[in-house]
Amino acid sequence: MNDSKNDSLSFRIVDNGDSALTVIFNQTPSEFLTRKIRSLQQLIRDHFHNIVHDIIPAYQSITILFNLSAISKSNLKEKLSDILNKPIEPSNYQSKLLEIPVCYESKYALDLAALATHCNMTVQQVIEVHTSQTYLVHMLGFLPGFLYLGGLSAQLHCPRKINPATRIPAGSVGIGGEQTGIYPVDSPGGWHIIGRTPLPMFDPTKNNPAIASPLDKIKFISIGQSEFLELQKRHKETNR
Amino acid sequence: MSMHFVKAGLQTSIQDLGRQGLMHLGISNSGAMDTNAMKLANWLVDKPIDSAVIEVTLVGPKIRFEKPMTIAICGAQFDLYLNNNMVFNDENIQVKKNDVLEFDRLQQGARAYIAFSGDLQLRPLLGSCSTHLTAKFGGFNNRQVNNNDRLAISSTALSPDKKIPTKNEIIYSGKYLLRCTRSVESDRFGQQQSEQFYSQRYQVTPECNRMGIKLSGKPIEFEEQLEITSCGLTQGSIQIPPSGQPIVSSVDGQTIGGYPRIANVISADLPVLGQLKAGDLLNFTLVTQSFAEKMLIEVQEFQKKMMS
Repeated sequence: MNDSKNDSLSFRIVDNGDSALTVIFNQTPSEFLTRKIRSLQQLIRDHFHNIVHDIIPAYQSITILFNLSAISKSNLKEKLSDILNKPIEPSNYQSKLLEIPVCYESKYALDLAALATHCNMTVQQVIEVHTSQTYLVHMLGFLPGFLYLGGLSAQLHCPRKINPATRIPAGSVGIGGEQTGIYPVDSPGGWHIIGRTPLPMFDPTKNNPAIASPLDKIKFISIGQSEFLELQKRHKETNR
Repeated sequence: MSMHFVKAGLQTSIQDLGRQGLMHLGISNSGAMDTNAMKLANWLVDKPIDSAVIEVTLVGPKIRFEKPMTIAICGAQFDLYLNNNMVFNDENIQVKKNDVLEFDRLQQGARAYIAFSGDLQLRPLLGSCSTHLTAKFGGFNNRQVNNNDRLAISSTALSPDKKIPTKNEIIYSGKYLLRCTRSVESDRFGQQQSEQFYSQRYQVTPECNRMGIKLSGKPIEFEEQLEITSCGLTQGSIQIPPSGQPIVSSVDGQTIGGYPRIANVISADLPVLGQLKAGDLLNFTLVTQSFAEKMLIEVQEFQKKMMS
């Protein structure tokens, strides 16, 4: 990180409709890039306080939604380039490590056996590999509170289902392509479901409705069904 | 209690202008799909134009009023009956205690907005009273209205009679030209693919909701799949999935998308998405950024002038 070349990023700014711009970085996703993007997010927020209403960070990009009656797009593009051409310090955000209990028993893991077969592994091996990694939260999106995680072992990569399930219950843990993640709310989906967490992933009544933010780390902990039911009961009671 | 939904209708929900500033948490804007109609209805009943309203979709409700109040209905045109007498869109309606409003046949458009004098007894969630139907939070009990629900409305102040001038009434013909500007992956599509997209007429499929609108036409073919990395997805984005059939994203849509976008509907035309229904016909045309900016200013100035 002392390398001065790393201080400015190679980027391009592209149109995302008439009232948004997307900055795409010419770098592969990494924690370092996610730290730069987090700093940039803060810089943009500070600079364009009343002009930009939403900022969506992603693996290699940041999308800026602005109020079209407050600034012209060409003007915003220029000002953005100025910010991007100066060195951006990677964010020094202190990552939190969150342990997420997951029950991998077949009742909650409809696709685990099939995924194990596809990966030439036993069910137990899949669970061991899935729980041995520490995953990085790159960004949130897709559904409210959904975490985009980096770090899934290549051993567990598996193409998405051809026919998506119509309803996957909230808390389901899945694998799709090169990604693993947790469905925060009931939703249709094409990922292979390998377990379920009793932890609520999204609570709109809280000040921070999501359980983690970009740069936090996630570890999955295997639990049995009785512990799952116990935790589920406890979370329902505290929410009442 | 003041509004009793004897019948709820197909998808009736509380909406306002939605939530901003939460897309980094995966929370899309939600809110009324046709914000123009929503604002007009509020204006008719003398309320701030961003007040919460009732969004009615395709099949409307039957409502018994338990208090006198002034209401106004804008947007999609249904045959409307108040105690079996016809009433109309775009003018306010004085209702008495025990009056029954019934939405009958849909004539035009897809979504109507009911504004009412008095205030909804609802606490905003994450800055808005909108119902996020995908994530099931906000609005009335975190869901759409069901049969026999009762909505509490405080104060019964009535508003004087008011009407939208006939010349300003909107007609939803079911055939629309949506204007677009470029999106993130526009230049990844070849000239032939772009020409095909902008020259052909698309039909709206039954998969048309607050998340997105799927269209059908001659599929856009890819020689090889365009590999893209997921990034921020905005309202009006027109994604082309491997099927080659466009999906236009809307108010409850996802905040990050993984399909290439050929174009994006301009801000001034986004309210039209709320009036689309299966079978409607669409064409797209590419306009410049300055034209898109001009169109938005025009809409805003027109509204300001009319509602002053």
